[in-house]
This record gives sequence, structure tokens and C-alpha cells, in this order.
Amino acid sequence: MRSANSRFSPALLAAVPVFVFLVVPTAIVVPMAFNHSRYITFPPDRFSTDAVTGFLTDTAWMSAVLASLQTAGIAVVLAVLLGGSAAVALHGRQFPGRSAVTAVILAPMIVPPVVLALAFYQFFNSVALVGTILPIGLAHAVIATPYAFLTVRASLSGLNPALVRSAQSLGAGTPSVARFVYLPVIRPGLVAGALFAFSVSIDETVIALFLQSPSATTLPVKMFTDIQYNLTPKIAVSSAMLVTVATVGLLVQVFFMLRRRSIARMLPLTAAAADQTG
Amino acid sequence: MAGGKLTMPLAAAAPVQACATPRGRAFRVRGAWLLLLAPIAAFDAILFLTPLGTLVSSSTHNQAYERVLGDPLVIRSLINTLEISAVSTLVTIVIGYLLAWVIWRSSALMRVVLFALVLLPFWTGVLVKNFAWAVLLQDNGLVNGALQGLGLTDHPLTLLHNRFAVVLGMVHYLLPYAVFPIFAALAAIDNRLELAARSLGAGELSVFRRVILPLTVPGVSAAGLLVFIISTGFFITPVVLGGPGDMMIANQIDFYAMELTDFAGASALALALTAIVSVLVAVYQRILRAGGTHEVG
Repeated sequence: MRSANSRFSPALLAAVPVFVFLVVPTAIVVPMAFNHSRYITFPPDRFSTDAVTGFLTDTAWMSAVLASLQTAGIAVVLAVLLGGSAAVALHGRQFPGRSAVTAVILAPMIVPPVVLALAFYQFFNSVALVGTILPIGLAHAVIATPYAFLTVRASLSGLNPALVRSAQSLGAGTPSVARFVYLPVIRPGLVAGALFAFSVSIDETVIALFLQSPSATTLPVKMFTDIQYNLTPKIAVSSAMLVTVATVGLLVQVFFMLRRRSIARMLPLTAAAADQTG
Repeated sequence: MAGGKLTMPLAAAAPVQACATPRGRAFRVRGAWLLLLAPIAAFDAILFLTPLGTLVSSSTHNQAYERVLGDPLVIRSLINTLEISAVSTLVTIVIGYLLAWVIWRSSALMRVVLFALVLLPFWTGVLVKNFAWAVLLQDNGLVNGALQGLGLTDHPLTLLHNRFAVVLGMVHYLLPYAVFPIFAALAAIDNRLELAARSLGAGELSVFRRVILPLTVPGVSAAGLLVFIISTGFFITPVVLGGPGDMMIANQIDFYAMELTDFAGASALALALTAIVSVLVAVYQRILRAGGTHEVG
């Protein structure tokens, strides 16, 4: 119960600038991508699509986009398959060492990215697997898998394991149980997991920075290098592209928040497991 | 934890399964879940645990730990990390509490809108945000323009490549991680407590100070620890928004590996950082379990 006047409390007034603070950096990069000037400022003095066409015809930037998409593709497929199957395997099952298995699955989330970056760098050099996007994709799959595991586990939390047993007692084989009991329940978790995995991979910088080579430079790595050297409209264009991806992720999550609670409940979980890159 | 809650129905269903299914089939089904766990086991063993093993064995060469921990530059970056993380955490928690409070006090629809505003930076990558802050904070940027327009200053202030910019960028990144746990703590409070306090004559301020704040202390400390843990690993923000004096541990690891090509030293430093983070995570999970408002692990 809240009184009518508490809605117009000083807290709300104080929070308005903070909400602006949260949104402004994301909101300004899209207009900046259409800035006419060669120097990057906000607000833009005159609009043009020069920077966008410049970006699309720049082979270095385009190969970075391609490398990022390939990397994210590897990460999404592996994360969803591995995280999803692990979540199903552990669902409603008690055995000694269960929490240890869960801890190992979630561990890549809490190891600081720079530590993983260094570990991967030395490991992939020792097995002579460098110079392509494959090691970056595999490394991103390692950090994305816990997200897919958590989203699928969250979607399974509503499924009573007794339902699985009763399907089996009625003669359903493993393929039928997978198809008719598990799949409909975990589908939203798989979608959310794929989205998280894509988002994790497409933004990840530190590991990709350590594993980069001239033939394997992802978009964030190219951005990071260019930001230190010069703030250019092309960085604004690539930022605007990443904001588009972020907006899709946000809209899907809001959709889930409005439709069912499970994904909304999953967010603090994701946050709880600590994080990617700062 | 989902697994804990589900043990009961499983136990109840087990006898049914034992008499309804032939032995051989039950055995086959029991084996199937291990097959589902095998891919991730193999994957994590080869691509997560082995690289960490490489790191450990690399750190044992050339008295790496003695060398690294005696390096004044490392000590400097360690102090930087603690200072920057502590300030960022404090600011994030205070502002995060305010946001969580306002969201908690909003109607159902408004909540979704405000959550979306908090989630937008959560989904936006750190480089995009840092780039935007660099543009906003530069000498001829929007912030300096506004300050001069308002007559607060007559010359551009140096807002970029210093610790202020690092903390600003970090707070912006960290806020969602504080808002959600604090909101969860607020949402768990029984409404009747507030009504009771009000009926006994407590005003807005004393309801907050004496009823709500104490009840959210576990949630706030968990959020604070989480935010602090994330802060200690920052790498990009100190480089893009900070100056040479704002290097943090992650940057020092990069420096040892890539500039000095001292991989033993870099590995030792990386493992020291991991050890600190692991201890903090263990404490964090203990707080969560004691608080009981969260599901984790």
C-alpha cells in the first residue's frame, strides 16, 4: 500500500537525472553515426550518411564485423548445446558432487576476463592454434555457456520431474520425452541463452584482444584500438550497430518480463554470477 | 535453488518408476543424463580447466610471485584498483538504492519501463558506453558546453583521462548490477510492516531509517560485494577514460604479458587476482544464503 503523495517523493525527483544518465550514452551514438563532420561531436552539426557508407566500404571494418559474427556464431551454437544439455542433465537430479559440477559450469563467469585472456593466450599458443577466429570463438563459448545454462535452468524450474517419470511410465521413450516434455519447456530458455551468448560474444574485448591476429580482429578490438588513437565517425557507426543488437536483446527481455516471470527472475541470477568485461 | 525444491516430488515418484518400468529401460534412462553431461565435461576440461592449469604452471617459473609482488608498479596498480573500486562501489550502491527504491514505489507498468531504462546500459557493450562518454566529456563535448552555457565555468574543464572519468564510466556500467539485488531485497519486505509503522505515527523518513533500511542491509551488502568484485576486473574503462596514473590490476597483467613478455609474472599476478576474487565470491554467496532473498549457484 502506498499513499498518493509518495509517488511524487523527492526520491523520484532525484532519480530522474540518474535515469537520464543511464540512457544518454546509448542514445547519443546513433545520431553521431550520421554526423557530417569528420570530427566526432555531439550534437551533430549536419546530418549525412557519409560515415555509414565509409564504414560499409572499409575492408578493415567489414572484416572485423565478419570476424565478430563468425565468433559469435561459434559461441552461440556451442553455448546453447552445452549449457542447455547440462541444465537438462542436472534437472531434478541429486547425486554426490552435484554442487561441484554446477560450480565448474558457472566458474567461467566469475574468473576475471583478463585472467581467462592470459590463460587462453598461453594455452592456444602451446597447442599452436592461433591466427584464426576459432580460438576466439571457442573462448567466447567458454564464457557464454554459463549464461545458456542459467537461462535453460530457469525455464526448467517450472517443470516437475514427476512429469518426466509419468511420461516414461506411459511408454514414452527418451526421444519422445525430449521432444514433447523437455523441448516446449526449455525453448524460451534456449532463445534467451542464445541471445545472451550472442551479446556476450559480440561485446567481448579483452579475450579477443589477447587472441587477435591480423587475420582475426573482432569489432570491439578494432574499436578499442581506434578509440585510443582517434575518435572517428566510423567508431560511431559500429557503436550504433552494437546499440541495435543491444536494443533487440532488451526488447526480447522486456517481452519475457511482461509475459512470464522466469526470465525476469533470471536477471539478478545473471548479475549474481558476476561478469564479462569492464 | 531449483534442485533442492524438486527433491520431494522426485523421491515420491521413484517407487512408481521402479515398478512400472522394466529394469533394463530404467537403467538406460538413468544413463542418458550422463551422456548429456559428457559434452560440457569434456569441453570445460579441455578449454577451461586446462588453460587455467597452463596459467598455474606458468606462474611457477622464475620466482614470479616474489618478483611481481615486490614491483612498485604492481603495488601502485593494486592501490589504484582498491581505491577506484571502493569509490565506484560506494557511489553505485547509493545511486542504485535510489533507483531500486523508485522502481519499487512505481506501478506495475511503470516498473517495466524503468527496468528497461536500467537494462539498456546492461545490454550495451562497454566499448560503446566508453566511446560515448569520451565524446561527451571531451573539451568541446556536450558536458563542457552545458557547463559553459550555464555560466558555471568560462573555460573547458578537463573531464577526460582522469580518475573522475573512470569512476563515472564504471558507475554507469555497474548500476544495473546494484539495482536488481537491492530491488529484490525491497520487494521481499512485508507491506504490513510499513503500515504498522505508519499507524504508530512514523513519518516517511523514520519508516525508511528504522524499518526498511535495516531489512535491506543483507541485499545491499550482497549488491555492494558483487559490484566490488566486478570492479576489480575492469580493463577497458581505465584505458579509454583514465590517464596513465589510473592503471588497474587487469592493465598491469596485460602490461606484464604483452609489453614485458613476462608470462610467468603475468600469470602470477592473474592468479593472485583470481584468489582475491574467489574469496570475495565465497563471502558473497554466504551473504546471499543468509539473506535468503536470492537464488544462486
